[in-house]
Amino acid sequence: MDKFIGLVGTNSSHSTNRQLLQFMQKHFADQATIELVEIKGLPMFNKPDPDHKQIPAAAQVIVDKINAADGVIISTPEYDHSVPAALMNALQWLSYGVHPFVDKPVMITGASYGALGSSRAQAHLRQILDSPELKARIMPSSEFLLGHSLAGFSPDGELLDREQCNQLEGLFKDFLTFVKITKQLNHAHESNAKEAANFSWEDK
Amino acid sequence: MKIVGIVGSSADFSYNRLLLQFIGRHFGADFDFNLAEIKDLPMFNQDDDQTNSAPVQELVQVIEEADGVIIATPEHNHTINASLKSALEWLSYKIHPLDGKPVMIIGASYFTQGSSRAQLHLRQILDAPGVNALAFPGNEFLLGNVKEAFDDHGDLKDPKTISFLGTCLQKFQRFIKMTEFLNQPEAEVLPPEDLKATGTIDTTIQGVDKSAPDWVEQAAEVAHAVDGKTYVRLNRGILTVDQLNYFLASMPMELTFADSNNQFLYYNQQPDTGEKMLASRNPTQPGNPLINCHPERARKNVEWVIQQLRHGKQDVIRMHVPTHGPDKFVVHNYQALHDETGAYKGLNEYVLDIQPIIDWYLQQTGQKLVGDVDAVSGASEKSGPAKPAVDGVSGASEKAAAPAKPAVDGVSGASEKH
Repeated sequence: MDKFIGLVGTNSSHSTNRQLLQFMQKHFADQATIELVEIKGLPMFNKPDPDHKQIPAAAQVIVDKINAADGVIISTPEYDHSVPAALMNALQWLSYGVHPFVDKPVMITGASYGALGSSRAQAHLRQILDSPELKARIMPSSEFLLGHSLAGFSPDGELLDREQCNQLEGLFKDFLTFVKITKQLNHAHESNAKEAANFSWEDK
Repeated sequence: MKIVGIVGSSADFSYNRLLLQFIGRHFGADFDFNLAEIKDLPMFNQDDDQTNSAPVQELVQVIEEADGVIIATPEHNHTINASLKSALEWLSYKIHPLDGKPVMIIGASYFTQGSSRAQLHLRQILDAPGVNALAFPGNEFLLGNVKEAFDDHGDLKDPKTISFLGTCLQKFQRFIKMTEFLNQPEAEVLPPEDLKATGTIDTTIQGVDKSAPDWVEQAAEVAHAVDGKTYVRLNRGILTVDQLNYFLASMPMELTFADSNNQFLYYNQQPDTGEKMLASRNPTQPGNPLINCHPERARKNVEWVIQQLRHGKQDVIRMHVPTHGPDKFVVHNYQALHDETGAYKGLNEYVLDIQPIIDWYLQQTGQKLVGDVDAVSGASEKSGPAKPAVDGVSGASEKAAAPAKPAVDGVSGASEKH
């Protein structure tokens, strides 16, 4: 059974994105193990000592978890048409001399209080994950946008909307397949890894 | 013009900081330039609102004081730096200092891209409703290969790059001026005022030439106006016309009544003491349409004042008239008159010198005015350009030289703050 990391894309204690990942964790328990990982508490990225690129211990813990996982599910809210600074910050640390995301299958989901379901944040997140120092394998042509998320869950954390639940189930099945396929997309892995490793924050 | 440059990086060394410093040095003659940092701001977190913390408030203050903002952004992971995003989240959560603020995006990067993707993201972020900045369109300044771009003094080497940057900055300054118009409150178009008083209302005394010098005498005859010892019933009391006259003459101010037809009907003529009136009136004026009492240059302002009162935009309009010298604090007040149903019935212009009142009060209470004397005698400077001291009825003021939109001190808030 695949082992996934569910990255909560916010540092807020009340988050429907966390709720969504918790729902997936429970709902898909028979298909995969999903461990939720929080990004709260990482210091502000400030490009310290570019020659040595030390990352905080808390970031290293996340790196190790992602390295050991078959894939990552990131659920992001939308702040000001983009992903929250806290998530950007985490991704900066997770690509500073370390490269856990290179060729790692990633599924993006998102929830928002309004109608749009974090659509623009998700588009930004795709571009971010595409950058040479992250270079994740983002599941293409798939989008899960949970709008009006405050009303989206039952008191015991079940996703209320049947149609959306069906969609999520389909997407998750596809993600399991995508993870398998990605394992075969290994011809460029070496050069990808090299490119990411050679990527110098100095040269950017 | 004040421009603040925000360094979009929290790194100790940043070429974007260098670029902004260069702008300050090289183009400093064109505008006041300040550099602002975001590196001391905490990470945005909804659970721990630090909007009121010193670093956030300091940034807010420099932004609010500036006419325009330049953000210099690096690019990390195809987007802007987390610290810049975090700063923008603080500036869009409980407070919105960038709302309507012109913002220019520039960026420097080590390689060829010059922060191209980060700039596009930043543009979208500035567009978000919580931020609602006015991102300066076009004029994209991307400084690639930044390591070779500066000389040892931190100056840009390439003259073409400097010249292009100068062009962008010049256009940005023009953009800032354009946004002033955009940020003005919508000027509501109110129906024009008939200052010639050509209409008739139910109280208009008909059959008498409104401009006649003896209109009072003629109209009194037509209307059978009472005088002398005849009793008039008032709300609440009874006075004779004589008593009413004594009473009104004793008011420590010059009173003028113009009806809702814009006809000047009355002023409280005072016994002649040889002293000049604050807003001069003469006995031939009652009856006149308001247009007769004002020179051409003041009419726009008179119309504006009446429009405000008639349409309930403001109930009182006050303006100080400094032309009487420093020893008088002359204030013209225009107060709307209404009937029992709230319908506009005309205006009461009362003109007085408030200095004796202030002096007396200060003496009685042992207080004194401190600090900015301008706060009393010259408050007009703060609320924008060309603030005329309008004299609605007499037109005596020389400053009333017809600007399109008189910026008059309205009690209800004409002196908006941006």
